Amino acid sequence: MNGLVQTALEAATAVLLLCGAVFCLLGGVGLVRFPDTVTRLQAAAKAQNLGLLLILIGAALRVPLPYAGLLLLIAVFQLITVPVLGQIVGRIAYRTGAVERHTLTVDELAERLAPPDAPDAGESGGGRGRGT
Amino acid sequence: MSPADEQAHGTASTPGARGGPPRRTSRQWPLALWLWVLWIVLWGSVSPVVLVGGAVVALLVVVLFPLPSIARRARLHPLWLLLLPAHLLVGLVGSAVAVALEAVRRGPRVRAAVLEVPLRSESDLMIAATANMASLTPGTLVLEIDRDRRRLYVHALPARDAREVDRRRGEVATAERWVVRTIGPAEMRKDPNRRERGYGGEGERR
Repeated sequence: MNGLVQTALEAATAVLLLCGAVFCLLGGVGLVRFPDTVTRLQAAAKAQNLGLLLILIGAALRVPLPYAGLLLLIAVFQLITVPVLGQIVGRIAYRTGAVERHTLTVDELAERLAPPDAPDAGESGGGRGRGT
Repeated sequence: MSPADEQAHGTASTPGARGGPPRRTSRQWPLALWLWVLWIVLWGSVSPVVLVGGAVVALLVVVLFPLPSIARRARLHPLWLLLLPAHLLVGLVGSAVAVALEAVRRGPRVRAAVLEVPLRSESDLMIAATANMASLTPGTLVLEIDRDRRRLYVHALPARDAREVDRRRGEVATAERWVVRTIGPAEMRKDPNRRERGYGGEGERR
């Protein structure tokens, strides 16, 4: 019985670690292939984040309880801090022009930030010009 | 009015200061409890020394450094709090898969959007929680929080056409609905269109 539980835990850990590694890899692919800071940030904040969480959970299943609590604590703080980091970096990236405007189908923040008498501050719809 | 209240009113008039008066110590037991649990987990043992020492440190921190009451009107709803991790997990997996697919299939030709999403919440706690949830679960990343007009500006990743843009907008609304369900005041939970009101009275400055 005990052996069965042990095997199940090992299998679960293996699956979680592998899935985590795959998501980390996909996050890396996103970092390389995405065109600008904010989309890369999305790859890091989503795929990479999930990858790390899966690895932490997978490891937590196999280590003694005190360490498992510590790993889960890391996961919780990761969940709390990643969106904050994403928002700060994203905000600065947007405001310093590190966003490829032609990748955006709609940009409602530009309309908001534009001075009220600017000619292109009208209704959204097509948004910025379609690049490429 | 207690001295603590007067002090808080003094700071509230300075620009940038928000939140109400410091909570009374008796209202801070959830924070103390959290600090205590954190202490125990970090030490990784439940020996009497750790338990007692943690309780003492937690109480000292709460008494010596009282935080402003950000959660004055918040009500925790345990049932939804229990369901929240499951929802978070589904949302995390869903958005991670979506972003990863987009990275592999489109890469440099990805189409995104920056959307303005109006919020129903008014308090710092609810807006912060919504921004956090929105960044975690759907394919959106909060770029800008317009605190005074109650708007989030989010970067939405797979957004090729109007239909997908609308779906991303709906996902942020869903994130806020979950926040309202879990910690929102009763009147907002009952009426899905009700906006949070009467919080701090600094709503439409600037």
